[in-house]
Amino acid sequence: MKADSAAGVKAVKTKKTFTQKLDTQGVAGYVFILPFIIGFLAFLLVPMIMSLVYSFTEYDILREPTFIGVANYIDMFTNNAKFWDVLQVTLYYVVFSVPLRLVMALLVAMLLVKSTKLSGFYRAVFYLPSIIGSSVAVALLWKRMFASDGVVNGVIKLFGGQGNTAWLGRGDTAIWTLIILAIWQFGSSMLIFLSGLKQIPVSLYEAATVDGANGPQKFWSITLPMLTPTIFFNLVNQLINGFMAFTQSYIITGGAPRDKTLFYTVYMYKQCFTYNKLGYGCAMAWFMVILVGLITLVLFKTQHLWVHYEAEE
Amino acid sequence: MKRKILALTLATAMAMSLAACGGSSTTAATKAAAGTTKAAAATTAAAGTTKAAATTAAAGTTKAAAAGTTAKAGSGEQVTLNLIWWGNQTRNDVTKKACDLYMQKNPNVKINVEFTDWTGYWDKLSAMAAGGNLPDIIQQDYAYITQWHASNQLADLSEFIKSGTIDTKKIPQSVIDSGSIGGKCYAISLGSNAPCMTYDKTITDQAGVTIPDQMTMDEFDKVCQTIFEKTGVKTFYSNDATILQTTARSLGNDIYGELKDGKDTSTKVFFNDCATIARKPYAVAPDILAEKNAEVVETKPIIDKTSWNDFAFSNMFIATSKAAGRNLAMTMFPAQNGAKQQSMYLKPSQFFSISETSKHKEEAAKFINWFTNDVDCNLILMGERGIPVNSDVAAAVKAKVDDVNKQVYDYVDKVSKVATPIDKPDPAGKGEINDLLKTTVEGIRYGELKADKAAADFASQSKTILEKAASK
Repeated sequence: MKADSAAGVKAVKTKKTFTQKLDTQGVAGYVFILPFIIGFLAFLLVPMIMSLVYSFTEYDILREPTFIGVANYIDMFTNNAKFWDVLQVTLYYVVFSVPLRLVMALLVAMLLVKSTKLSGFYRAVFYLPSIIGSSVAVALLWKRMFASDGVVNGVIKLFGGQGNTAWLGRGDTAIWTLIILAIWQFGSSMLIFLSGLKQIPVSLYEAATVDGANGPQKFWSITLPMLTPTIFFNLVNQLINGFMAFTQSYIITGGAPRDKTLFYTVYMYKQCFTYNKLGYGCAMAWFMVILVGLITLVLFKTQHLWVHYEAEE
Repeated sequence: MKRKILALTLATAMAMSLAACGGSSTTAATKAAAGTTKAAAATTAAAGTTKAAATTAAAGTTKAAAAGTTAKAGSGEQVTLNLIWWGNQTRNDVTKKACDLYMQKNPNVKINVEFTDWTGYWDKLSAMAAGGNLPDIIQQDYAYITQWHASNQLADLSEFIKSGTIDTKKIPQSVIDSGSIGGKCYAISLGSNAPCMTYDKTITDQAGVTIPDQMTMDEFDKVCQTIFEKTGVKTFYSNDATILQTTARSLGNDIYGELKDGKDTSTKVFFNDCATIARKPYAVAPDILAEKNAEVVETKPIIDKTSWNDFAFSNMFIATSKAAGRNLAMTMFPAQNGAKQQSMYLKPSQFFSISETSKHKEEAAKFINWFTNDVDCNLILMGERGIPVNSDVAAAVKAKVDDVNKQVYDYVDKVSKVATPIDKPDPAGKGEINDLLKTTVEGIRYGELKADKAAADFASQSKTILEKAASK
């Protein structure tokens, strides 16, 4: 309640009443974001902490967890060849799918940067695959397409080829069906590139034309450097997404053949729910967090080497 | 300030009225009424209970909660049971129909059904167990009941059997035993089953071969060769734990006992079989096999004639025939040359168990009793899960089944005449071993692994897996 005003001139600051406290702008703001905070705590922060705790236990879901210290982590790094295999498979997938996806996105974005009558339609069409993204339906469709009697072989037959390769069954091609699926979903990166392209001042291009620069020179000297912030943003985003890929591997190939398409996340899932080793799975999850975090950190720390922010001039 | 209080009051009033509105659904209201039986009508808002009474009257349910009198919970109050099973389209359809029939006959029970296919079932169940929301009635498998029982997830059904809630008069004791651990029953078998090799009779007739009740591996080889030469259809040889186990049984061995000690005796024989067959011209190419999932009925290689045969269990025969859309026939798994004993066995196909966390064990037991012993129910199910365990029911169903079904009955009958007792339930860790087995055999098929070395590696890895799983 109000401080005793009898304190006289000393009490310059009076305590606000409770209702007055509720009235301040800050409180209103917190109330508005309360739903999100509750969701964040309940569905993100608390499970993350639980997962960290579980990673130090042995937990088969059906019984109470037992604390075993860092045994899971040690076992993961030293005793499990499959761990390194799935990590390798996932890295292979990321190393190829992310750059190729970005290149596709940039190329198509450059084609669509001019606002012609149909450009809106094309943008929507190219964006569509990435929305329906990593859905089960698309994965099943992809599986049928690349089956030995599927559409892809059908098209090959039309052009006179043999058309009976089992793309999903061969160790060397199975992972590429997944990479191609990732590249096909370049839409969201493309839109971001589009906005980045539109932000490049036209005056730069005009000045270049006056100086006698040709197309490729304009691209390498103006477009690309000005786009580096966008490229950086997309790169970080797509890298994180790439490491988290699950549906494609789980549904399309199930890791076959011979675990050559077994992604890290799918193996983690198997550890948790098929082999009933939730503690081990959580340890794998946290390793992935640290790994992706490190990669992102490296990217951020080295961005000054290649990313050119206009505002810094 | 005043406006704020007004707004808050109005919002609360709105929220409360919405809650009352929500109660207009019969189940919610009657559930609320049932929940307060012990506390008596006085506690909850008068509006709530009168609404409940009104809705129960409107719904015409018998034994209405009488607006919260101290009726014992479980006597006719609205109960919702959750039921989960794995299956294929045929099983899903008939089981749903059977549940509808039960709901008709027992209007106070609502059954929520859920189903997946085999490959995702145990993962899903584990996830549900972790979340503490296991359904009341869960379909169980002989391979998994040990693990689930050890973690206290299954309710002890002995009291229901003793009290007669689950009537076992017409069920052979051996069937009850197959679902019992330590003398107490935890699972009721839904049917008898046997491993069988399904084959396409049209193709074999075309090739001019007759398939005997059981072939030796040499005979099997000759048959595959002839079929390939005469019709061009290839052969499928399975890579899952069932066929590894029957190979071991043929040699008179217990496979999990071997693997526990890291011995690869039977595994070596099986892997060599796989290697030999994979190199033959009549074997389906490994990359074609990799893109099919032989465990899901609809994608089995036999369905689209990729192969003339398939390895499965007898209760999948109906669904497989339907998916293939043509006449198939059954024979036993090929036996090893000079086999020491008959490898075939009768297996309880699946069980129904009640989860220990279920709040309606009595009602669940009543449903299981009806499911097992009621003739009408089983005339809907038509033995899709296996031959009914109640002998009267089995006789009644057999009389009405169609020809495809009769084949299953006849086959199980044939097997029962020669079957040897089933191995003990699979130990914990079998999920990981199964995955390892499938990947290893895949490697053998592609020629990337040599059978003998693979067997040694497999045995030692399985030993570690079993040790780790058993130590918990």
